[in-house]
Amino acid sequence: MASVTLQNLTKRFAEVVAVDSLSLSIEDGEFLTLLGPSGCGKSTALNCIAGLELISGGTILFDDADVSRLEPHERNVAMVFQDYALYPHMTARQNMSFGLKQQKIETAKIRRQVEVAADMLDLGDLLERRPAELSGGQRQRVAVGRAVVRNPSVLLMDEPLSNLDAALRVHTRTEIKRLQRELKATTIFVTHDQEEAMVLSDRVAVMRLGELQQIGPPMEVYRDPRNLFVASFIGSPAMNFLEVDVTRGDGRIQCRVGEQTLALPPDLVGGEIPQKAVMGVRPTDLLVEAERELSLRGEVFLVEPVGPVTYVDCDVSGMAVTAVCDPDNAPAIGAQVGLGFSASRVYLFDPTSEQRL
Amino acid sequence: MALSRLFEPGAFALFKPRADQPSIKLPLLLTSPTLLVVFVIFGIPLVYALALSMHRINMLTQQWIFVGFDNYIDILPDPEFIAALGRTAYFAFVTVAGGLLLGMGMALILNMAFPARNFLRSVVLVPWAMAPVAVGVLWGWMFNGEYGTFNAILFDLGLIEKPIHWLGDGTVAFNLVALVHIWNQAPLATLLILAGLQSMPENLHRAARMDGAGPLQRFFKITLPWLKPMLLLTMILTTINSIMAFDLFWVMTSGGPGSATTVFAWMGYAYAYHFFRMGEGAAILFVLTILCLILAWVYLKLLFPSQAKARAAIGGEAEESLGRTLVQMVAGAGDHIATRLEKLPVRPRRSLVPAAARRPLAHAALAIVAILIFCWSLGPFVWLLIMSLSPSASLVRTPPTIVPDALTIENYRFVLFPGGVEDGQSSIQATRVPFSIFNSLIVATGVTLINLALGTLAGYAYARHGKSRIMSGTLWGLMMTRMTPSLALILPFFILFRALGLIDTLWALIIAYCSLILPLSTWMMKSYFEGLPPNLERAALVDGCTRLKAIWKIILPVARPGIVATGIFCFLVSWNEFIFALILTGSPKAQTIPVIIAGFLVQLRFYDYGPMFAAAVLAVVPPVFVAFAFQGYLVRGMLTGSLKG
Repeated sequence: MASVTLQNLTKRFAEVVAVDSLSLSIEDGEFLTLLGPSGCGKSTALNCIAGLELISGGTILFDDADVSRLEPHERNVAMVFQDYALYPHMTARQNMSFGLKQQKIETAKIRRQVEVAADMLDLGDLLERRPAELSGGQRQRVAVGRAVVRNPSVLLMDEPLSNLDAALRVHTRTEIKRLQRELKATTIFVTHDQEEAMVLSDRVAVMRLGELQQIGPPMEVYRDPRNLFVASFIGSPAMNFLEVDVTRGDGRIQCRVGEQTLALPPDLVGGEIPQKAVMGVRPTDLLVEAERELSLRGEVFLVEPVGPVTYVDCDVSGMAVTAVCDPDNAPAIGAQVGLGFSASRVYLFDPTSEQRL
Repeated sequence: MALSRLFEPGAFALFKPRADQPSIKLPLLLTSPTLLVVFVIFGIPLVYALALSMHRINMLTQQWIFVGFDNYIDILPDPEFIAALGRTAYFAFVTVAGGLLLGMGMALILNMAFPARNFLRSVVLVPWAMAPVAVGVLWGWMFNGEYGTFNAILFDLGLIEKPIHWLGDGTVAFNLVALVHIWNQAPLATLLILAGLQSMPENLHRAARMDGAGPLQRFFKITLPWLKPMLLLTMILTTINSIMAFDLFWVMTSGGPGSATTVFAWMGYAYAYHFFRMGEGAAILFVLTILCLILAWVYLKLLFPSQAKARAAIGGEAEESLGRTLVQMVAGAGDHIATRLEKLPVRPRRSLVPAAARRPLAHAALAIVAILIFCWSLGPFVWLLIMSLSPSASLVRTPPTIVPDALTIENYRFVLFPGGVEDGQSSIQATRVPFSIFNSLIVATGVTLINLALGTLAGYAYARHGKSRIMSGTLWGLMMTRMTPSLALILPFFILFRALGLIDTLWALIIAYCSLILPLSTWMMKSYFEGLPPNLERAALVDGCTRLKAIWKIILPVARPGIVATGIFCFLVSWNEFIFALILTGSPKAQTIPVIIAGFLVQLRFYDYGPMFAAAVLAVVPPVFVAFAFQGYLVRGMLTGSLKG
């Protein structure tokens, strides 16, 4: 196992900067997720770490050794691809052995190693099948098997779950987490699914347009988003954003939402506050008809039961806001409701810099 | 009963599929024109040829005497026959192997990323787009025993004192024709292999790189196995093209010197048309047909193995493994796995080239190879252009030299203005060129349009309803006709068309070409339609279209790349076709440009060389232009296995 350090990692394709001066370090045995929308550079960053892309600038360190110029296999990394990229003409066993054969490992040892990996992934009776004879989930397991069989220092996964159907995806997620614990492998996982990232990771690195936005443990990124993008990308359903006019008065921060005014505690924001700001509240923190420090009134226009809770979409001074309520006490469409929330769950953002205030 | 009524909503009540059993009527209706054209225009002559081969025919008295299999029995032990068979096998082996190796090399290069790659991809297609007759004229001249280009080069370099008669030596001549055939046909292999390479998931090579496989390992362990079906297809197609090769022999050697280049196809032709031994000629060509059909059968069997290897274990997999995990999680098993997975050593790749030099060296090598491919593909064509711009007199200088003493457009004046040119000397043949180009255009356009209309309908029916027995059976039959050497059909075609009064008309050519090319265009369109999601026309049906309207409004616009590729193939094949045009036309009123060019060779005077090359340029410019302009479509259209004769 190894720690990974990226220093100002940059990758340009002609004029496009895919990864812009990315710096972060991953501890030995840590599970880090690169999270972001498509085109944010997360897969490119992963390919650079793998050695599949030549980097345009910066350094990649495994432990303290510079691997930036090494061939992929010299870095002792393994990768699980989104489309699995299993060799179609080889059986599962041959797929898993291929890399070991390239390393000129003796046959008996290859056999042993493959059996162990197959056992871990419950591939025992599938080893003699070709990819075409395997289901999607089985192919995915063979792909993971091919990656772990070498016991790599760093395990890279490029959206390995996105080709699976929903039920299998949730299940495999658990499997991957278990596997990673057992192997204690330093893992870098790429996904655009924030829920996947939250569930799996020790730390999440949110990227946008090639730049790192925020890195931290899942709950920290969720509770303490550094900017508007992170706040909107993490959490489902997405955070509500309201345009507010801000003034300081009565020792409090006064936010006007349309004709309603909210008095926020003065210590919510330390420094200067612009006159116009964006206020964010997560739907799960906005409770219909609940007594809290703060409250907004709105008119219900949509009720969406999802089981444990019911989402209520309200019109608050012309802005759409999603809140939650108890499924048994859902309001009727058209009803005027109060939405209660606590001040500690309110985020204010600068609308121009998009930074958290 | 107007055809337009078919397009009215509700007209297809008759063809609406019942819930349990999809109707076969619409697909049959859509394929019937194609099947009719192919099987009638192809089948009758084929049976007729079989009948011919069982008769002894006196050309003077028009008497047919039934001799059963005597013609075959006479021919088979004939040493000439055995020798021709051997030559055909040698020719096929050399050209197929050469074409495959060259095609693989060029495809690998053209699949890499470098500037001007698309341009080079177009350039590579040039030899293949040229009519074999023009190719033969060009290379035949280059190897000309007195004034040829290679002699000229050797003279210019001072390496020889007297000209070498390249084609005068049987072995040399035979191998030179093989070389020219490879030059002409390798682009087909390139196109097919390139299509195969492009269909390869990019991540396969990335995975293999992660696994530590070097470039050679990746080629042999990953690329080659992936290409296997495509290579098989390429091999069979080029084999059949090689066995049927005729035009080059006609133009370059006429089977000689002696019988050194008498391959099977030429032997059958010579028996039938030179010696007027129709029965034996037909028998020889029929043996050729049977050989080709056996090959075709083997190819179809290899390419489409029975579906017995059904895909297993698709359903129920999620539940099964979910259950296991729960058990395992409860038991807390597998804690020691990590210790059991051994840490393996990493072997640095041994490389002769230091890492820093690798990229510049690779770039330089790529550039050199790309330039070589460029020269190989375009050089002869450029040389043809130069010769067409040289005065005839300077082409036949003694001693020969490649340095042109003047450039002139007078050759083009000879062949473009049939009224004749005041000053200068030219033969009557030159004056026939413009009209023959006009004929070629009409024939090629007509054939292309008919093929697109019929082939699209049939291709659609096969793509969407190919499962039923009758449909897969007729498709199989169509593909088999593609494997029949057209040479075997010419004699019956000639006799039947004469009876119908169609000889020496453009109609004869259009009908003949349609029956030859329709299987190909149907196959190409079928392959393309298969790539389109069926929900496309389901959506249109839901929106209230009839089936035909859905095809017209939705499928055809989406399938345009496939239609363009198919159209290009039809155009190229019918523009370049030589042997049918040679036999089925007799006068300039219906002769196409390949026939006119070949005609130059029959009575060639020195002042005809220039005009002949000018005519050859005019003959290759349209197909070369088409191939150049639509190269991208061709690669895509090739993906699913198409072919050109």
